[in-house]
Amino acid sequence: MSGARKHRSVGGTGNLAVLKPFSLHNAAPSAWRLQPGHGYMLFAALVLFVLVGEVQAAPARPSIIATMWKWTPFLLQGFAFNILISFVSIIIGTMAGAALGLGQISVSRPIRAVSWTVTQFFRNAPWLVLLFYCIFLIPFEFELFGVTIPFPAWIKAVIGLSLPVMANFSEIVRGAVQSIPDGQWEAAESLAYTRRQTLWLIVLPQCIKRMLPPWMNLYAVLTMATPLVSIVGVGEGMTTTGEILAAENRSDLLIPFYMYLLCLFFIYCYPIARWTISLERKFAVKI
Amino acid sequence: MSKWFATICTVFLCLVAGAGASLADTYEAIKKRGKIVVGVKADYRPWGYRDPSGELVGLEIDMAKDLADTLAVDLELVPVVGSNRMEFLNQEKIDIIIATMGDNMKRRKVVTMIEPNYYAGGTNIIASKAAGFENWTDLKNQKICGIQGAYYNRRVLQLYKIDLVAFKGVPEAVNALQQGSCVGFVYDNTWIEKTLAEGGEWEAYEMPFETEDPSVWAIGVRHEDADSPFGLMVKGKVADWHRTGWLLEHEQKWGIKRSPFLVEMNEALKTRAK
Amino acid sequence: MEAIWSWFEWLYEAHGVNLSIFYDSLDRDRFFFGLLTTIRLSLICIVASVVIGVVGAWLQTSRFKWTSRLVQGYIQFFRNTPPLVQLYFFFFAIGGVLPKVPDASGHMVPPIGNFTWAAISLSFFAGAFNVEIFRAGIEAVPKSTSEAAEALGYTRLQSYIYIILPLAFRVCLPSLNNNLVNLVKTTTLAYVIAVPELLYVSSQIWSDQFNVREMMNVLLFTYVGLVAVLVFMMHRWEKTLKIPGYGR
Repeated sequence: MSGARKHRSVGGTGNLAVLKPFSLHNAAPSAWRLQPGHGYMLFAALVLFVLVGEVQAAPARPSIIATMWKWTPFLLQGFAFNILISFVSIIIGTMAGAALGLGQISVSRPIRAVSWTVTQFFRNAPWLVLLFYCIFLIPFEFELFGVTIPFPAWIKAVIGLSLPVMANFSEIVRGAVQSIPDGQWEAAESLAYTRRQTLWLIVLPQCIKRMLPPWMNLYAVLTMATPLVSIVGVGEGMTTTGEILAAENRSDLLIPFYMYLLCLFFIYCYPIARWTISLERKFAVKI
Repeated sequence: MSKWFATICTVFLCLVAGAGASLADTYEAIKKRGKIVVGVKADYRPWGYRDPSGELVGLEIDMAKDLADTLAVDLELVPVVGSNRMEFLNQEKIDIIIATMGDNMKRRKVVTMIEPNYYAGGTNIIASKAAGFENWTDLKNQKICGIQGAYYNRRVLQLYKIDLVAFKGVPEAVNALQQGSCVGFVYDNTWIEKTLAEGGEWEAYEMPFETEDPSVWAIGVRHEDADSPFGLMVKGKVADWHRTGWLLEHEQKWGIKRSPFLVEMNEALKTRAK
Repeated sequence: MEAIWSWFEWLYEAHGVNLSIFYDSLDRDRFFFGLLTTIRLSLICIVASVVIGVVGAWLQTSRFKWTSRLVQGYIQFFRNTPPLVQLYFFFFAIGGVLPKVPDASGHMVPPIGNFTWAAISLSFFAGAFNVEIFRAGIEAVPKSTSEAAEALGYTRLQSYIYIILPLAFRVCLPSLNNNLVNLVKTTTLAYVIAVPELLYVSSQIWSDQFNVREMMNVLLFTYVGLVAVLVFMMHRWEKTLKIPGYGR
């Protein structure tokens, strides 16, 4: 992300004609990019896997399609929980990340240093390790103003996912604020705006547009990280799939059911990816 | 997911009403909220697993139901796995563990094991007949599947120098065994016997060794419940299950091979009652 | 050495800080083997995913509509599904249907082990991102450059390897670094298919020793340290490869 920005701004100065302005997503000229066709292809692959399994299956057993249909409500319940976790985590992570990101551009040196350290630490720690950390080491309840707040495992898992989201969003905020040309700060100053006024009235409103595509990207990454909570014992789509397979105890169901789960995620995440790219193009900075 | 919404609602209710979750007396706490929360297995047929509607069923779920009926409260089941059940109990996420938990000294430091024990199993392996194992020592440097957090892992690792490939749950380990990623799967003999009895895909497999390291299974509660009304009530209940033959009946209901331990306990407690 | 190990034993007895990875020889061997496995897995995946990225980006520029469509399908599938489920799908589902082969001791084993599956699955996952990164880099190279190469008699492949790629590579190095750091963090997923990497061995240790707190902190700092080393090396490399007069 940072690389993309740097090169984009430099490309305009034209001090070397070797390279064009570089950007990750805007430079997608091809008409075939991201079409629903890929969704159909995925669906076709699912059907193919089911049919192959169907041929392999012993005749005495119930058909794979019937089995998948039977378990669909249960599987969808599990998947709905993935989405719920992703919503709660993105909300917590975004709020905390916004605060941390503003801390990173603070005028106070200690705040800047602390925010930077926290951001880097949580950005560079693996998601799964952070999850384990939160599950095992956050106490099961907090005393706050004499009120005991219980912390069930799924809330701890949500916190565990929010931490890396927070750190990544903090970087998005910092990047967006720094992408606003210095001239705007100087112009605002000459118009007697205070630093806070400049930030809230001039800089941040422009940043929202720039932050939206990477934020949506982050959301997609988060959604794809939600199955991790199954590893630490919180139920969701992956757990559900495992339980279905344990109950059925049939090895020919493995491919169809994992493919089914992959398809559910694809159907949810793919439109978000498309939308992100179209927004990116719309909001692209013209130089 | 109604259970989850119930959890969310409970959390918010607690927040609003300021009701503390941690009451010293678990018995009072259960009565007050009108619900007992039991940690059970969701991947261990026939002790605890899912039916197609997503409901948890199994012998241990029957035990949990009977416990809830005795207390005249509702029952909430929380699926647990070997590596998180004791943490869940001590964090008061659950009130009690009924999840095929082996009783041993190290675990007794962390949770209180309810005596009498309700079942006994040992360690054994399930392996394909083609592998031709005869003795535990044949396992040296062989890839053997196992379960994360199982108490016997360290023992078999050190004693037989196996190459342990541990997974999160039984389905993963079974898949890995069936696809040949490991030559055997070290687990409780009761599960292995039950599985082999199913036939089908399992006809090519066997349990080649004498069952080792006999271990009894226990219901787990928190240390403060060791002598609390709740703990004593559970103790009495387990003794009842043995004496009345309830466990033997349900063992049969779920198609588990008759266990000598249960017969022995039934005899012993019956005579003592007289 | 022995003195250091026994100091950790004293630390446990006197203060309850149970760092069994230092004083217990079984745990110590397990832990350092885990560290080694993580490093090995990371290196293999980094190399493989970069190769996938380079080849994929080249295939995308292909004149055959179906080649680029296939690559595009691959990218979209791997980018929009969870890597954890991909890993399960590869190991349990695909691994289960492959024909078995006899190993040295005569057991029938699958041709691909769990370490290799983890390497394959994670490389494909990271590779999908790398293709996009390289493609963007290639598009930053002006068409006139490849035309000039063509005029000098380079074939399409030659001009890709000798002219376009070296330029594109330098341009996309920052994004590439980002993705490779993510890849190293993603190797923790190999835990679920029992590859004895850091997280896996640590969980074995804390199950045995009940020292979750200590192991968690060790784990967190080890990974942050590993990533820091990678970031440091990649930054040095970025500096060395910097195109003169371009960028600040």
